[in-house]
Amino acid sequence: MTLFTRRGAILALAMTAGLATGSTGAAADYPSKPITMVIPYRAGGSTETMGRIVADALGAELGTKVVVKTRPGAGGAVGATEVAAAEPDGYTIMFAASSSLLWPPLTQDVAFDLDSFQYVAKVTEYQQAIVAKADAPFDTLDELIAQAGDTKLNFADQSAMSRAYINYIGKERGVEFTGIPTKGGGEMVPFLLGGKVDFAWSGGVHNRYGDKIKVLLSMNAQRLLASPDVPSIGEMFGVSMPSQAVIVAPKGIPAEVVATLESAIEAATKDDEVVDMVTNKLMFPVAYLGSEAITAEISETAAGLQAVVAATQ
Amino acid sequence: MIENLVTGFAAAFTLTNLLFIAAGILLGIVIGALPGLGSVTALAVLIPMTYYMSPVSAIAFLVGINKGGTSGGAVPAILLNSPGTPEAAATALDGNPMARRGEPVRAMKFALYSSVTGDTISDILLIVLVVPFAAIALQFGPLEYTAVLLFAFALLSGISGDNPLKALVAIFAGIFLSTIGLDPIDSSPRMTFGNINLYDGLPLTALAIGSLALASVVEQLFDMRRDGVDSGYVNQGANENRALPVREFLTYWKTILRSSMIGSLVGMLPGLGVTLAAFLSYGQARRASKKPDSFGTGNPEGIIATEAANSAVVGSNLVPTIALGIPGNIAAALLIGAFIIHGIVPGPFMLTMHGDVIYALFASMIMANFIHLGLGRMGISVWGHVARLPKWAVLPPVLTLCIAGVYLPGQSGFDVAVMLVFAVVGLAMRRTGFPVVCLVIGFLLGGMFETSLRQSVLLYSSTPGVVLGSPIAIGFFGLAVFILGRAVVRK
Repeated sequence: MTLFTRRGAILALAMTAGLATGSTGAAADYPSKPITMVIPYRAGGSTETMGRIVADALGAELGTKVVVKTRPGAGGAVGATEVAAAEPDGYTIMFAASSSLLWPPLTQDVAFDLDSFQYVAKVTEYQQAIVAKADAPFDTLDELIAQAGDTKLNFADQSAMSRAYINYIGKERGVEFTGIPTKGGGEMVPFLLGGKVDFAWSGGVHNRYGDKIKVLLSMNAQRLLASPDVPSIGEMFGVSMPSQAVIVAPKGIPAEVVATLESAIEAATKDDEVVDMVTNKLMFPVAYLGSEAITAEISETAAGLQAVVAATQ
Repeated sequence: MIENLVTGFAAAFTLTNLLFIAAGILLGIVIGALPGLGSVTALAVLIPMTYYMSPVSAIAFLVGINKGGTSGGAVPAILLNSPGTPEAAATALDGNPMARRGEPVRAMKFALYSSVTGDTISDILLIVLVVPFAAIALQFGPLEYTAVLLFAFALLSGISGDNPLKALVAIFAGIFLSTIGLDPIDSSPRMTFGNINLYDGLPLTALAIGSLALASVVEQLFDMRRDGVDSGYVNQGANENRALPVREFLTYWKTILRSSMIGSLVGMLPGLGVTLAAFLSYGQARRASKKPDSFGTGNPEGIIATEAANSAVVGSNLVPTIALGIPGNIAAALLIGAFIIHGIVPGPFMLTMHGDVIYALFASMIMANFIHLGLGRMGISVWGHVARLPKWAVLPPVLTLCIAGVYLPGQSGFDVAVMLVFAVVGLAMRRTGFPVVCLVIGFLLGGMFETSLRQSVLLYSSTPGVVLGSPIAIGFFGLAVFILGRAVVRK
């Protein structure tokens, strides 16, 4: 019995010592084993497609393998829950839309909150917009609002968040819209082109439809790459939708590891294959931001989001 | 157009391309035949492989997978009564009785021939109709979908035999299960009990594989234990007449043609999907038959109707994809992802901007059908051997594959748990005479039914007169009432 306890004590001591040296060593020689990159969406979507290419380039920069693990569900909240609870050692990171990290804690009962993640870098911006069919009787948001004063207009949204932002605009301007929920761009487009709704929220799919669909408002803080003449919701209303595609890690990850990841991601976003995929094929801008800058941007976005939630729910 | 097609054939008829098509079909058939894995999983897993191919080869490869996967699902349905995918569930209804009667090879031949025929007809329709008929998809709004789905439910209630009431109960149980998860309108969680895994609802694959395939495997294991002997597949097909002359196959031309048309039409409407096509076609064949009671007892017409229709979806669901950039189903959505990777922007300009690739794709699809026929024939002789293996050698690997197939795509133990629960549910339903397939289809279409219905209410509650302005919706509503009314009168 005594022997057993003593042996146990020695073992525990040895383990603590090992762990202590191990953890300082871990940050210094990071990465010493493959990194798991969680993508909280189904295979085949634009984020997942982009994520795989970024993972390859990132792995090449870091000199290790970055293994993509898709963990779809609840608009990204399932994967986010998993990553929030993961060991903050830099071997579990996530590539996701910032909306998946910001929206659920404000509106749903989930096991992570706004402070669960360390933002490492921004990779790109989704091109979110309010759009209408080319022959719609309005060309700007103001003309749309004017018409909404006479007849109640229907719009196709793609999530509770997109509906909240459009309702927020309506509320600010004193008009009411009817939101019709659709499941993604594949359902929104036939609704819009088939004339079932008057206008729609688009996550970027409108880029593929050229002059059949026109853009009335950018839902990002800035104007959109493809529609530089159309104002943004940031300019007009002082709020914006979370639009960033980010790489995050669980909170508590060592600062040196963040720095290592940050510079590797910056280099990866300059990789030819990544640039070609993001700009030419997905038609998103490559918009790298480091940890400090993206953390500030996210907290600004989150403040606007809270205002919108407070006003519309 | 003919000229474009000739150029397309010239571009697509290369050895590399043919090899990629063949590889795709082979992988598709094998993966489709594994319980739990279907063409969607196969596409999702194999798309990254295509990053390094030329656009035409890549898309030909993926189309091959899609074609092979759809017909591969028929194999376990026929041989083991455990359909690998929900879309093959109707194949099991007549395919498995035929196999048990000692004609597994003939059943598989019927399945393959009708699959390839349906596919070819649908490909031709795709090529001819892609431009003019794309507009039809835009005619279909939430109101029309609601009507079509109601009609489908009514028709389905008559499929699984003797008791339409039990079938309706199963369908509504399925619809009820589909309401678990986030509310489609205001995103509030329903019946999730705080479990985030349920926010997207119950996982379809887990539910379908559990209640259809796994329940069947477990039931067979129970039977083995009770009977003490391995009644097995040992003698199944040992002395069968394996021949299926083309002339005999063609005596069913009416069913072949009708089912291919049903499949093609369903395929053109985004979202309805392969499973609905299979069951609508099966139900229609049964209604049109002079001997409806022979369905479910090993009538080859049942196999033909199902397989021709579900394969016909594969070609025609590219009509909205190519003409409008709107994916017809999950497989087409994955194809769109592949198009983007290869620099082809899906959307209404695909045909004008990338006509060369699209016509090469059409040519590849037609060639793929011939390759499919050849490879499928070879496959049947291999599967024929499986039919002679004892059950104890076949069932445990199938069980393992079910679990692996459900776990892998989402790497989720929760999905596996759901599958196990639904294996028990499926077993209980089998024992009490409730059709399991109706539960699965109710679940599969329930979400879409609810969304369309509630979208319609939101859109038209202030102007209900709009309903009268849609002849499509009125037609399908009328048919649904007619079918249910007749069932009541007959009782």
